[in-house]
Amino acid sequence: MSSAEPVLPELTDVNRGFWEAAARGELALQRCDDCGELRYPVAAVCPRCLSARSTWSPLSGRASLFSWIVFHNAYHAAWRDRLPYSVGLVELEEGPRLFGTLVATEGTPLALGMPLQVVFEASGDVSIPCFAPRHEGDGR
Amino acid sequence: MAWRRAAISGVGASRQGKLPDETRDTLAAEALRGALEDAGLEKDDLDGLLTMPGTSSPEGGRHYLALGEHFGINPRIAGSMIMGGATGGALIQYAALAIDAGMASCVACVFSDTARTSGSRFSSSSGWTDPWGIWGMFSAAANSAIVARRHMELYGTTSDHLAAVAVTCRHHASLNPGAVRREPLTVEEHHASRMIVDPLRRDDCCLITDGAVAVIVTSAERAESLRKPPVTIWGMGQAHTLQTTAHPDWWYLPHQRAAVQDAYRMAGVGPADIDVAQFYDNFTISVLLWLEHGGFCEPGQAGPWLEGGEKIRLGGDLPVNTAGGNLSESYMQGWLHIVEGVRQIRGECGDRQVEDAELCLVTGRGMTLNTSSALVLGR
Repeated sequence: MSSAEPVLPELTDVNRGFWEAAARGELALQRCDDCGELRYPVAAVCPRCLSARSTWSPLSGRASLFSWIVFHNAYHAAWRDRLPYSVGLVELEEGPRLFGTLVATEGTPLALGMPLQVVFEASGDVSIPCFAPRHEGDGR
Repeated sequence: MAWRRAAISGVGASRQGKLPDETRDTLAAEALRGALEDAGLEKDDLDGLLTMPGTSSPEGGRHYLALGEHFGINPRIAGSMIMGGATGGALIQYAALAIDAGMASCVACVFSDTARTSGSRFSSSSGWTDPWGIWGMFSAAANSAIVARRHMELYGTTSDHLAAVAVTCRHHASLNPGAVRREPLTVEEHHASRMIVDPLRRDDCCLITDGAVAVIVTSAERAESLRKPPVTIWGMGQAHTLQTTAHPDWWYLPHQRAAVQDAYRMAGVGPADIDVAQFYDNFTISVLLWLEHGGFCEPGQAGPWLEGGEKIRLGGDLPVNTAGGNLSESYMQGWLHIVEGVRQIRGECGDRQVEDAELCLVTGRGMTLNTSSALVLGR
């Protein structure tokens, strides 16, 4: 907690596909080879059928806002300079939900269901998928 | 017919607050001595020890070993469990089942923590493979803020509704000599308190305190011959949504409804039969969800149902957290809710006693909003 180093993923055989895709500017999740379930969180087995076989599937990056909060308290030193910052629970167009930092929200009031688009922010050497408001005619 | 095969025969709470001269073990001993005295039992009567390690207990799942050694207890059943705020209720349930099965006769359930003195901030991030902190998502407050925001946006719940919970719990704490925060709180003061994780303000958050609680469970039959009037377990339930983001309704905590419904069914009662409730209140929003899940109002409608807090205040339809709760009494992760439930049924609560309290619903919930337990206590 005293460290100002940001929290970064620890790469393993389980999550490497997610972060390698992010480094390419893609959002990808595991799709079960046996039952077809698209899953998040990233995990070694399918929570629907327990199969260990899956394939990383690139997604549209389009999402909508399911809930959100704004941090005014620095629970971690690395985030102190970003206060206040927003985090969303977002629902991907393909179904799964995940948490993501909300960026480029200035001038766009946050609202349930508002359209979002994945964007990638660099933290050290790591590319982290975050979400920004998606506007009409963005073409993405 | 109500289950009523096990009873809570003794409850004990240590002093609460900031207690830098104490350790988690001296506090646990203070609570256990109190519970034994309350029951009229001796330490050597105990043949079960179930514990919950606090944030300041490095032993984790081996906590029962440390406490057993320190306290000189060599029981038949033993163990430690970590379910956050659902643990107290869950351990009492396992104690009751073991007693009913004949595996033990007198089980102490114990929690102690020096969270305040140790500087616990409940700031960690959840997530297994990739921690949510990668995205800045830290703390217990944040998880409940996600719930509060969606509840507000979907149903029109407001910060005034949240304040009504905080103000009511503080009022009840003002009537409790053992409570840590007893000075009055107004809605305006709540609204002026610092934003922590929008939409939750400081006065939406529970306290962080040092203290300990012990609860002694026996058979209902044995309770008849002990010091205090028996408080029996009419019904009990648990349910857990162990998936978080992957579960479509995780944010709304459907497990809470399942746990309470199981407890109602076992007790043979419904919400209209409950005289007083002790709802796990890590944050104000939690009380609103318990009111909905407990069937006291329709889903989404708890905010307006509160009538500014009158409904849940002493003298109202359903007095809630009559000792002040986690918000104002002390943050014993729901264990003091059990103590207060027992004392209300015994009629020991003085200025804060609910008249003719015959049935009390006690709930707990913990971890990343995942776990829940419920008890219906009666005579």
